[in-house]
Amino acid sequence: MSALRSYLLLIRWQALRYKMLLPLMLVVQGLLAFGIVAGYPLLFPELDRNTTLFLATGAPAITLLTMGLVLVPQMVAGAKTEGSYEYVRTLPVPRLAFLFADLTVWAAIILPGVAFAVGVAVLRFGLDLAISPFVVPAIVLVILTASCVGYAIASLAPPMLTTIVTQALVVFVLMFSPLNFPPERLPDWLRAIHAVLPIQAMGEVIRGSLASTSFAIAGGSVALLAAWCVGGLAIAFVALNRRG
Amino acid sequence: MQYTNTLWYVNQLQESLMLLEIDDLTKSYRRGPRANDGISLAAAEGEVFGLLGHNGAGKTTLVNQIVGLLKPDAGSIRIDSRDVVADPGLARRLASLQPQAQVPISGLTPRQAVGMIGRLRGLPAAEVKARTERFAEALDIREWLDTDGAKLSGGIKRLTSFCMAAVAPGRLVILDEPTNDVDPVRRRLLWRQIRAIAADGVAVLLVSHNVLEAEHSVDRLAILDHGKVIAEGTPAGLKSTVAEDLRLELVLEPGGTLEDVPAFIRQRASTGTRVVTAVDSVHAGEAVVWAESLRETGFVEEFSLTPATLEDAYVELVGRADALREDGTASEATDVRAA
Repeated sequence: MSALRSYLLLIRWQALRYKMLLPLMLVVQGLLAFGIVAGYPLLFPELDRNTTLFLATGAPAITLLTMGLVLVPQMVAGAKTEGSYEYVRTLPVPRLAFLFADLTVWAAIILPGVAFAVGVAVLRFGLDLAISPFVVPAIVLVILTASCVGYAIASLAPPMLTTIVTQALVVFVLMFSPLNFPPERLPDWLRAIHAVLPIQAMGEVIRGSLASTSFAIAGGSVALLAAWCVGGLAIAFVALNRRG
Repeated sequence: MQYTNTLWYVNQLQESLMLLEIDDLTKSYRRGPRANDGISLAAAEGEVFGLLGHNGAGKTTLVNQIVGLLKPDAGSIRIDSRDVVADPGLARRLASLQPQAQVPISGLTPRQAVGMIGRLRGLPAAEVKARTERFAEALDIREWLDTDGAKLSGGIKRLTSFCMAAVAPGRLVILDEPTNDVDPVRRRLLWRQIRAIAADGVAVLLVSHNVLEAEHSVDRLAILDHGKVIAEGTPAGLKSTVAEDLRLELVLEPGGTLEDVPAFIRQRASTGTRVVTAVDSVHAGEAVVWAESLRETGFVEEFSLTPATLEDAYVELVGRADALREDGTASEATDVRAA
């Protein structure tokens, strides 16, 4: 039984399990993206080009982060509660195959929402985005990192705690993270925190790949994301393998 | 069919291959008593081995160690002569599990769920298909094979979960309360299939608290109580360890109590107006005369005298072990092993 075959079968298994949720998730992501694009401008008396660019590129980032850091851990917590997490652990499949299959399915669920958010933003603000070829690896990296971190949260915490932590994360991502605005507006201590957390770097990578002529992507941000991604993956992997 | 000659059976076992061997297994949880305390047992190829015990006796802890979800504190587990404590991945290839909790299959049909587990366990697609059809036919669940799992009743889900464990069974199949929620007719079909997979050359470890059902369906069993094996043997063998071989069951008139009970009648359990007592067969005649006199005088509504069941033995053995444990002399004296 090759790892690849396990991976493909598990993708099918998870995709079928979530197929009824898929339309609902697309609607939620659509509403979220629409809300950000339509609602945030109300906070600003005037919209200059820089502000609209931040809003347009922040919308897909927020959509993606909300799904990865909130929906993924809640779904994993749900799988733990209903027993399917434990059941899969009794099957003779490589743990990494299971983890990657799950992440693949999540990525497939999150991607359309991101594309939709970009579309809505472009329509609303009439922007000409300068989308770089780096956009595909950039979005894959961000989705993977957000899902891995989300997975790690759900792996470490009991289901109830996961729900609470992710609710707090939503507020933090929506209100106190430099996704819709430049980090300079944050107080120093919060900037220091965001310098090590992956949220700002995720926003930066997405912004830099969607509006490549206006924003640069720092190599350090990519490295930071890669580190969080590997860290999250390692935690989720260890948790899957753990024997109490 | 159900009657097993104990001696013959033991001889057979010595010749057959032990597929599951557990030796002196101990496991405790943090801040808790020992969930498994020096458990030793073995199940052979072709055998249906019952693991019986109250809720919290340590059955699920034992199962989770076999499939590598928990790590024993001490002791060994071997499946097909291979050490699976050292290699939990191997355990999952050699053993398949039907968990006690329902496996969530919403979104999947039974055919898809069984098919994918079969293929994940390494069976070729054509064989998976054939075996799925065969089990569905044998369990009379064909009409639901292509129904979404979310729409299935508890019993059909449970049978699907059995098929998922049985489709590519490996060498050991662990069934944790497989008959829960299943209707009486399909229960019989299920027992037949459990027998059939054992006959195909695997060992079946059947975890249950349903003693009555186990009596007629397992070859041997172990009774687990507070983490220890307090008795092990064939159903007939275990029944013979209990002094009295008959059960006299009395249904009292509402509000009535039993008085002046003859010495040869021992009260075992009572629930509401129903009193179960134990009687040795040499006193059968006197017992009937006594019960009949109670019925005539209106103390008793009805009574029956039947052979003792495994449940009687179970209640007796667990009661004995509990009494001894409370006396503080548990560990040495509770081990009743019937040949």
